[in-house]
Amino acid sequence: MTKVPMTEAKVWPTSNADACIRCATCMAICPVSRVTPLFPGPKQAGPGAERFRRPGDPSVDSWIDLCIGCHLCDMVCASGVNISELNLLAKAKYLDEKGRPLRDWLLTHTYLYGWLGSLFSPVVNWLLKNSAIKWMVEVILKIDRRRQLPGYQSPTFRQWFRSHHSKGDRRIAYFYGCYVNTNEVEVGKATVEVLEANGFEVTLPAQECCGIPMLGNGDFKGARKMGLQNVPNLLKTIRSGSEIIFSSTSCGHMIRHEYNRLLGIPGSEEVAEHIFDLFEFLRNLKESGSLNTHFKELPLKAAYFAPCHLRSLNIGLPALEILRLIPGLQLENIDADCCGLGGTFGFKKEKYEISQEIGKDLKQAIDRSKPEIVLTDCEGCRLQIRHLTGLKVLHPVQVLRDALLQRTDEEMG
Amino acid sequence: MDIKTEVLIIGGGATGTGIARDLSLRAIPCVLVEKGDLASGASGRNHGLLHSGARYAVSDPEAARECISENRILRRIAGHCIEETGGLFISLSEDSPQFRERFLMACEEAGIPTALYSRDQALELEPELNPDLLSAVKVPDGAINPFELVRANAKDAERHGAKLLFHTGITSLLIDQNQVRGGLALDLLSGEDYKIEASFVVNATGAWVNQVLKLAGLRIDMALSKGSMLITNQRLNQRVINRCRPASDGDIVVPNETVSILGTTSVRSEEVEDFEVTPPEVSLLLTEASRMIPAIRGARLIRAYAGIRPLFQSGGTGGDRQISRSFALIDHGERDGLKNLMTITGGKLITYRLMAERTSDLICRKMGVDVSCSTHLKPLPVVAESLRPKDRLQKIAPGGEVLCDCELVRREELEEILETMQFRDIRDILHRTRLAKGTCQGGFCVYRLLGLLHESGLVKESPNKVLKAFLEERWKGIRPILWGGALKEEELIESIYKGIFNLKDSVEFGVGSSE
Repeated sequence: MTKVPMTEAKVWPTSNADACIRCATCMAICPVSRVTPLFPGPKQAGPGAERFRRPGDPSVDSWIDLCIGCHLCDMVCASGVNISELNLLAKAKYLDEKGRPLRDWLLTHTYLYGWLGSLFSPVVNWLLKNSAIKWMVEVILKIDRRRQLPGYQSPTFRQWFRSHHSKGDRRIAYFYGCYVNTNEVEVGKATVEVLEANGFEVTLPAQECCGIPMLGNGDFKGARKMGLQNVPNLLKTIRSGSEIIFSSTSCGHMIRHEYNRLLGIPGSEEVAEHIFDLFEFLRNLKESGSLNTHFKELPLKAAYFAPCHLRSLNIGLPALEILRLIPGLQLENIDADCCGLGGTFGFKKEKYEISQEIGKDLKQAIDRSKPEIVLTDCEGCRLQIRHLTGLKVLHPVQVLRDALLQRTDEEMG
Repeated sequence: MDIKTEVLIIGGGATGTGIARDLSLRAIPCVLVEKGDLASGASGRNHGLLHSGARYAVSDPEAARECISENRILRRIAGHCIEETGGLFISLSEDSPQFRERFLMACEEAGIPTALYSRDQALELEPELNPDLLSAVKVPDGAINPFELVRANAKDAERHGAKLLFHTGITSLLIDQNQVRGGLALDLLSGEDYKIEASFVVNATGAWVNQVLKLAGLRIDMALSKGSMLITNQRLNQRVINRCRPASDGDIVVPNETVSILGTTSVRSEEVEDFEVTPPEVSLLLTEASRMIPAIRGARLIRAYAGIRPLFQSGGTGGDRQISRSFALIDHGERDGLKNLMTITGGKLITYRLMAERTSDLICRKMGVDVSCSTHLKPLPVVAESLRPKDRLQKIAPGGEVLCDCELVRREELEEILETMQFRDIRDILHRTRLAKGTCQGGFCVYRLLGLLHESGLVKESPNKVLKAFLEERWKGIRPILWGGALKEEELIESIYKGIFNLKDSVEFGVGSSE
């Protein structure tokens, strides 16, 4: 394994805490401080506390670890303060000093052992559901036993794709991410099928975990290592003339924003210009008149929830725009903030209650809507909504695939 | 309520409280009166510099020697009021290399330890320094919290039997056959007046010395020099940064807890009560200080303030920068034939203890008692476990209500302070807690404080009246620095006070108050 040097301080974003005018809009939206007094909220934790932190001093604000990393504060800040970045930098410093438990390493390095999970999925999945094992995991690793760890699937998405022969007039590359590869292969298949139905040949560039689990846990070094592996591969794909899409808004947010802004990875700016959210890409097709809109009527009542990282991409809600073209599909946009999972946040025993409390609003909003299924672009949100509501939760592309391909079936039949 | 004592000290700054401590440690009874709160004159209006004396080494070696000697004593006795930051005197391309050589020699002669750093070494220590600097000289400067220092002296004096009366003025001196016998005191808040009989009267009123001397028909030659300072929202430097050139405007940036303080100007003033920082002073300070630390240009400022240096003119001409920073102890018995009255003035915050020692020595000689000074040996007490920024950060979560968001003052902390102090004026609280000393300068927290005071029945008058008085005072400090982010925030604060508290017609807001 190559040793990655810690980035020089100058690539970190500079703090613009001075711009804060203390309007407290961020305090009104922060999902964490809304549910627990243990976190003082973005204004205090970000620009407020920034005045009290000194470069040479050890950190003392252990509560900084409670920032869930949703970026909602950044989005509402009228003065453009990079609050969540300030929090993340402080959190990284705090955890670097305090040391990270084995649990955090395990939760953030699934890319290293996910293939094992897939290979032995029947056994692994049984173990993950076994209450004695869950109890042990909670005691030893402090992963809350009330949380169901995601099961593994076999074959993996990549294995499936190897025997799948993608054909089309134009090429598009797909950054599928770890979760699609080993845990939600269906989302990957649906993405490939929808793109093919729009005339694209799908390719899979060489890729590793995007690094967002590490970054979210303040492990800049680990995250940067992943970025340094991914960017050259993605650049190669782009320079061969292919754009890239992602189906996970978290992976996408990481590559498009954090690689450059937080991690200063060379070449990441160029990658950011050529990588798109799947539905953003489809919306572009629609705008240029080339989207396949031969949809079958889909009599279904669905609720759509926009993940925080999607909102933070500043591209609107493209999935909603595309899905609204499907006849018969009743779609309600759920008006709620963060789902509360925060990637690995909600799995941690000490944060489980907070995570659940944050999710309450979302659960109530979904309950009011009484949908048959819930749709959302982020795997974390899907896990959390299943956990909160017991409902079937899919990626929007899975519904889109159904609307497109059943029509093809009919035509063929 | 007439009082009889041995020594009446007028003035509750560093010098006055220092004398009260010194005398009471020598078991000499004394009473101190102060017309405002502790440290409300120059003692509380300076940049909080623990002088190494290096600034005066070339021009005023005597003051330099006093500084370094007191610097060492204060580190010993007042460690809890001091941050040992160290200081750098940086040379830029336009600064004369000859001056640096003279400076190094003069420091050596004055006994101030120095070390010469290269450009790269200096930048490694202080990354925000102007990268064009040529070299830096390290000196033992530091940061001192003047409020803590004065409070500690006051507390120790009280502990040893001194009586300290605040918000109390002296309206006349009792004079009997060429000898002072005390003064008439007036409680400025209750209006009560009474007599304080004393064998000796010490005038330690800084810029106000002539107002006291006037009561005896006397006057000394003083040059009152206004020094203005600006405070940044965030701390930019870890060490005191000075310019290695002859003392001039805008040549120092002192780090102080969470902020940096840019200083200073020197403007001759006749006014001791009501003075403001002018726009040319603000521009001058920013231009000069940003030569040393370029980031100052883009940094947000939170307040401008000024203090009056009471400089004693023993004769001679030249600018105020040339007047010695040494102090003067004047025995009016010898000088004017009015026995047992003395004035102690001039000097620096850092030499307050020496000034107190000399004054107390003189009193002892006159009394014919032979007790020596011990203030340089006995550590000053810690007044209240005041929280360091780091502790404040740790304590804001979990739970507890935070009253002042900027300086992280919790309700709990404030309630403790209200229990230990006798509440008289809202500003007394602000000095003791740092409430309203942060980014918003009280814009968002003083109304919370008033709510608390009102609930506990501590504010007798209408809270809106108190609020108005506070805002008017606050306005003076922020008007000179209102642009960019600070201006935006002020618009928001203004709308809160005008809209929610309906202070529309009564407070002078500069922004958009043309109606």
